Amino acid sequence: MWETLAQAVINGLLIGGIYALVSIGVTLIFGVVKIVNFAQGEFVMLGMYISFFLATQFGIDPLVSLVVSMPVLFVAGVLIQHFLIRRVLGPNDMPQIFLTFALSLLLLNLSLMLFSANYRTVHTSYSDEAWHIGGLYIPVAKLIAFAVAMALSGLLWVFLHTTDLGRAMRAASQNRDVAMLMGINPNRVFAVAFGTALALAGAAGSLLMPFYSAYPFVGQVFVLMAFVAVVMGTLGNVMGALVASLMMGIAESLGIQFVGADSGLIVVFALLLLTLAFRPSGLGARRGR
Amino acid sequence: MQTSGNMKWLWLAIGAIVMLALPQLVSSSFAIDIFIRILLFSFIGVAWNLMGGYAKQLSLGHAAYFGLGAYTSTIMQVNYGISPWIGMIAGGVVATLASLPIGWLCFRLRGPYFTIATIATAQVLMLIFLKFRDFAWGAEGTTIPNLGSAPLMMQFEEKSSYYYVVLGLLVVGLWITHQIEKSWIGYYLVAIGEDEDAAEAIGVNAPKVKRDIYMISAFLTALAGTFYTQYIYFIDPATAFSFSVSIEAALVSIVGGIGTLWGPVIGTVLLETTSALLQSWLGSSVGGIQLTVYSLILMAVILWRPTGLIGFATDVYHRTLRRKPARA
Repeated sequence: MWETLAQAVINGLLIGGIYALVSIGVTLIFGVVKIVNFAQGEFVMLGMYISFFLATQFGIDPLVSLVVSMPVLFVAGVLIQHFLIRRVLGPNDMPQIFLTFALSLLLLNLSLMLFSANYRTVHTSYSDEAWHIGGLYIPVAKLIAFAVAMALSGLLWVFLHTTDLGRAMRAASQNRDVAMLMGINPNRVFAVAFGTALALAGAAGSLLMPFYSAYPFVGQVFVLMAFVAVVMGTLGNVMGALVASLMMGIAESLGIQFVGADSGLIVVFALLLLTLAFRPSGLGARRGR
Repeated sequence: MQTSGNMKWLWLAIGAIVMLALPQLVSSSFAIDIFIRILLFSFIGVAWNLMGGYAKQLSLGHAAYFGLGAYTSTIMQVNYGISPWIGMIAGGVVATLASLPIGWLCFRLRGPYFTIATIATAQVLMLIFLKFRDFAWGAEGTTIPNLGSAPLMMQFEEKSSYYYVVLGLLVVGLWITHQIEKSWIGYYLVAIGEDEDAAEAIGVNAPKVKRDIYMISAFLTALAGTFYTQYIYFIDPATAFSFSVSIEAALVSIVGGIGTLWGPVIGTVLLETTSALLQSWLGSSVGGIQLTVYSLILMAVILWRPTGLIGFATDVYHRTLRRKPARA
């Protein structure tokens, strides 16, 4: 019993690292640019396909292709922010929600046309490897993904807290108007935030590739998880999103283990609804706000 | 548009005659099928628009009510032999009741997070119905027993009969929207849509108004669910709670003209016609093409014409006739 429980927690924690990369991206964009990127999951999907094609065409290991998928998606993010998102920033919600939503639909269905609905996998030397510690089973590919995800989250934290640009992003997320009065160029900050968020999604995609199949709808799984984590972890809060994502992963895994194979999502949504009912401003919210 | 009262009635009369005669003039069942889809999604769009268009509560979870309507009437019909006409109303009532707790939760969030919460509720309902194998057939779904011609059980031999049923639904939806537009609640909704805090400051009871309109919107959407199940003789959680129903409800309203009486209808005509043309040109072999085109249309509308086709037409009308500027 305890071993099953510990195993479920480990499985959840490892996949939670990937959820964290996606939710940190969502919350970063929400915090800085003040929009919700409904297409975040589709960028995970693109990251997966980039790694898939680099692996099948040039034999590049998915973990190595991280150095391609991240910059490519960063540039894509800057361009999307500059040419699309910038045009709909304003007090009106409708264009913002439905622009990124349309982007999500577009990327998803274009991939369906170009890549077909087939499941694509990449087999690496470590795909089937696992460590056995005590009675526990730890798949190496997932462990690497988790470790790299945590390292990237840490790097982002350092970037946000020690560099001028990072501080400017945090300032813009706390109070955009005052930040601009202090001479922060919003367009530059927004573009970097959007690019960074997409680079994280791309990283998530590459990290998933050794143990997860790529298909056009794959992003939907991750983005739903990310939205729930971001709401639970308080909108716009990077640390909150990280912690909530790991909790999400564990909750989902416990659901699968103890309620039934198709119950993971129900547990996650139940958590979301409970959060909304009892703590609508999220778990990371400060009191009195 | 300011047309005089008599002209308006004339146009409505002509429109009514054309709509009533259409299935008699067109014999192709492919065409009638498209007309039925257009009317059905116009109706769903009209229901969504009450909530999403006037009050700007952008739900992407209306499949929840579509599915509840579909399941309520089907369970009553298949398990207890009750006519779907009664089941349809019962489904509407179930959806209305369900909208209370769902609204209570989702209205705690605003803007995009309201949208996400609505997506989640529809997904939860789908997952729940996947689990209910005892009285709701689980993932396999069920076919509706075909009784041949049984108008009392909402089953017809002629496709045109379905056409008239859904036309009736659309007329009801438009009539309700028109009544709401004219009433105080219509103004309250627009005020909430413009700025909820400001609306509350001038004494609009925003939570109550939003709750009421959400109930009406849910009720109407559920009727569409019953109709659709009767029309295709099949139900399963994936079609009844399909995310694409939620998407299309919002899409047709936005493309046509969000928060306008005729917007959803015009949007549906454009999108469904495009989709039918694409299908006949390319066949259904190319997966994803329909939604690719929809999303491009949606992007174009948002970037260049956020008021939708109705706003565009009004602008052109005013500009060509040089009566007055398009907007003050």
